[in-house]
Amino acid sequence: MTTKTIIPASNCNEQNTISETTAVTTPLSTFSKYRLAGFYLAISLMVLSLIGLGFKGLNLGLDFTGGYMTEFTTSQSIDKTQMQSQLASHLSDDFELNSSATNTQWTIRQADGAASIIDKDWLNTFANQSSYKITPQDSVYIGSQVGSELIDNGSLALLVAAIAMMLYLTWRFEWRLACGSLVALVHDVLVVLGLFAWLGLSFDLTVLASVLAIIGYSLNDSIVIGDKLREVMRAKTNMNMSDLVDTAVKSTLTRSLITSGTTLATIGAIWIFGGQPLQGFAIGLFAGVVFGTLSSIALSATIPQLIGLHPEFYQHRAQELLLHEQP
Amino acid sequence: MRKSNTKPKHTWQILVIIITVVILGLNAIPTLYGNNNALLISTVNPTQALPNPQQLRKIMQQKNVQVTQIINGASDSKIVIDGDDEALMRAQQQLKTTLGDEYNVRLGNQSAAPKWLQELGVSPIKLGLDLSGGVLFVLEVDTHKADQERLSNAKDETLQIIHDQGLRGMSVKIAAADNKVDTTTNSIGKIDLHFLSHQAAQVKLVVKELQQRLPGISYSQTNDRSGNLTFLEQNISTFHQEIMAQALSTLRGRIEELGITEAVTQRQGPNRIRIELPGVKDPEQAKRIIGATASLDFYEMANSGTASAKSFTDQNGQRLRVAPKPIFSGSNIENASAGRDEMGMALVNLSLDGLGGKKMSEFSRDNIGKPMVTVFSEYHKNTADEMIKKSKVINVATIQAQLGNRFSITNLDSPQTAADLALLLRAGSLDAPITIVQQRTIQASLGKNNVNNGIMALAIGLGITLVFMGLWYRKLGLIANASLVLNLVCLLGLMALLPNVVLTLPGIAGLVLTVGMAVDTNVLIFERIKEERQRGRSSFMATETGYKEAFATILDANITTMITALILLSIGYGPVKGFAMTLSLGILTSMFSGVFVAHVLTYLVKPQIKVKAQVAAKHQEQI
Repeated sequence: MTTKTIIPASNCNEQNTISETTAVTTPLSTFSKYRLAGFYLAISLMVLSLIGLGFKGLNLGLDFTGGYMTEFTTSQSIDKTQMQSQLASHLSDDFELNSSATNTQWTIRQADGAASIIDKDWLNTFANQSSYKITPQDSVYIGSQVGSELIDNGSLALLVAAIAMMLYLTWRFEWRLACGSLVALVHDVLVVLGLFAWLGLSFDLTVLASVLAIIGYSLNDSIVIGDKLREVMRAKTNMNMSDLVDTAVKSTLTRSLITSGTTLATIGAIWIFGGQPLQGFAIGLFAGVVFGTLSSIALSATIPQLIGLHPEFYQHRAQELLLHEQP
Repeated sequence: MRKSNTKPKHTWQILVIIITVVILGLNAIPTLYGNNNALLISTVNPTQALPNPQQLRKIMQQKNVQVTQIINGASDSKIVIDGDDEALMRAQQQLKTTLGDEYNVRLGNQSAAPKWLQELGVSPIKLGLDLSGGVLFVLEVDTHKADQERLSNAKDETLQIIHDQGLRGMSVKIAAADNKVDTTTNSIGKIDLHFLSHQAAQVKLVVKELQQRLPGISYSQTNDRSGNLTFLEQNISTFHQEIMAQALSTLRGRIEELGITEAVTQRQGPNRIRIELPGVKDPEQAKRIIGATASLDFYEMANSGTASAKSFTDQNGQRLRVAPKPIFSGSNIENASAGRDEMGMALVNLSLDGLGGKKMSEFSRDNIGKPMVTVFSEYHKNTADEMIKKSKVINVATIQAQLGNRFSITNLDSPQTAADLALLLRAGSLDAPITIVQQRTIQASLGKNNVNNGIMALAIGLGITLVFMGLWYRKLGLIANASLVLNLVCLLGLMALLPNVVLTLPGIAGLVLTVGMAVDTNVLIFERIKEERQRGRSSFMATETGYKEAFATILDANITTMITALILLSIGYGPVKGFAMTLSLGILTSMFSGVFVAHVLTYLVKPQIKVKAQVAAKHQEQI
């Protein structure tokens, strides 16, 4: 039933005819109200994320802090507090113990410079003394210097990405539109970081990769809407800005929802089936796409409207182009 | 232009698509078969014959290892086995003990794809450590320490020149101030030179002589009684490049000695080296060999007149004064092997290269009856995390006769020490100390688990997307699905084809994400087609305009994703790099399949895009 998809589009057409007959100063349409509500929601999410980042901070993973991480499995399920106390009697330094839901998969984190380091021999002795059947899985050591360098590199990458995007956008669009996309982008990154801060999830290298992927995704959305808005502004002169934005957002809504839907479905598959190592990555990306869709609908087109983008700008431009083309 | 009603035939487009898909598809197939474990046997001596297949098969049977294939190559024979890493290790051990020292046994793998495919030269995608299991090391080369060492050598050299020329009142010392300021940055050390005011002319001679021995050193006078010597900035960076190149080749040599063929050794940043050793279970041996910065130097005993003599303490606590410069060093050693002397004591037999041999024979000729000191140096980390060079006198031997380029170092602690020393000397020594800054051991079982998880996620993600697109867009959806599957095939083929592309777990995530996002291209186009159709265009015109109009938006959207992927590629190592790699390649293939392939498919299928009559009518009215 291909006709189904036309429904939002047909709504939009009705909208057009209504706004043509009514005056420019009509109160906002219901869609605009939703859009503005979304705008305030997005802004408050950003504030909330900033609070989370400021007060709780990110729980930086081993990649950034450096240290030792040992992962092993036990054949039977063991109580976590029991494991904790048993490990404590064998390890002189502080350590952090995490376990899977079934209490068979364990990760121990130690700081760089710990005196008693867990290695194969250590695990063997521990297995003998505690009579658990232990299989080592993964062991990581990252020097603390490598970690701090990575923080620098990661922040640099985020900054470079943002600047590169801004340059591309200003070259491609008018500055107000570029501004809207940029705010949407900052929103997406901030909210994902805030989510990780509030939930205390470990922020490691793969999560950073997901944040960078979100930057690409968020802009992708903003550009599609921006393109549409520009097209609508060129074509329709007799509508007020709010309705123009509504039209642009609505006609790209189907596309936004379908793409977000399939992307979310695939990310969901990674989340559920990808296993432990991809968990953080999938959560980051999932949140990023959800909030990215919200921001592209509520922020990226609303902000240019609020900071005074007028359809005249593009119509002037169109006329100028016409003049240039036909001397 | 001739006017014609015939629509474009798209012949060349179809040809391009078929050729691309066939090439990339063929490259993608071996990945589905995967790899089998294999052992490579080569002879130490090239003239020696390789063991015959029957013999090899028998050895394998003794340990219950299933042999799939034995391939006899020009310089090595390859035994492909059917079994896991456990069986591989068992087989390697057995081969080593049965065949003895005459043969090298290395681990490797062989594509499990049918023979005709292998003959085409296509190979499966290389798997990263997180999928294959193994050990990862990131080593840091301490270039700062090497700088200091070089500076102190330059000081000794200067002192020697001053001494040789009998210039009293002239003195040199390493300026301490600069090193104290900041040891982490590239602060360039200086040597202070103090002299009497009438010695200005002699100083010039000294500097000239020094520059001849050590090019790249520069002199500047600070006042009429002192000046300082430094290495030129450019010379220092060349020196660092040389150190890194030496470290890389040495490490490669050591890994080869360990018998690992699939290892990845690459530079990471200005002074780090990343080593991936797939299939290695026990990191300890690898660590001992890779992480060691050992060097061997042979010294002459100093006579009383030598300035700046070095002193070492031997095992008996006796102090030995030796000449500042060694007769020759470990870098002149061509081959080394461990053995035992008549008394059963461990020793290392050395053979020197041409230069070392000449130095040795000249020295031993002139110094018969005199002692020669062998010093073994190694870098250690102390409790304050500083690198400390620890030197140990291995032996003091009296030269009995003129020596050639073959001799041995006796009196070693244990056979293990002898074996390790021989290996290190064979593989070359490192001048700059190296430290392990990152280490990771992934068990093969975890790797296998990761592969299964990744494939599961990919299958489910792909399944959901295909079903949704099919239901939502019907005929157009099938076109999208066909191009999506082609996209995946092309992407896998491209990854197998390109060198240096390694599939990692985040890489699989990138693959899954690509599937979700590639749909976007189709959705953008299809939505546009529907819009055009509502404006009253014919199915054909709507399709053509749809593809044309949507292209700018698609290009924009993909360029932004490409920018982030490239930034990720340039900063990331390991997991991030794998993700960025698949993401960026995925963008290329999805553009190809989404825009180009889907367009031709749409043309071939000619789907009728229905439009709600009412809406179309309204549109007509509006226009």
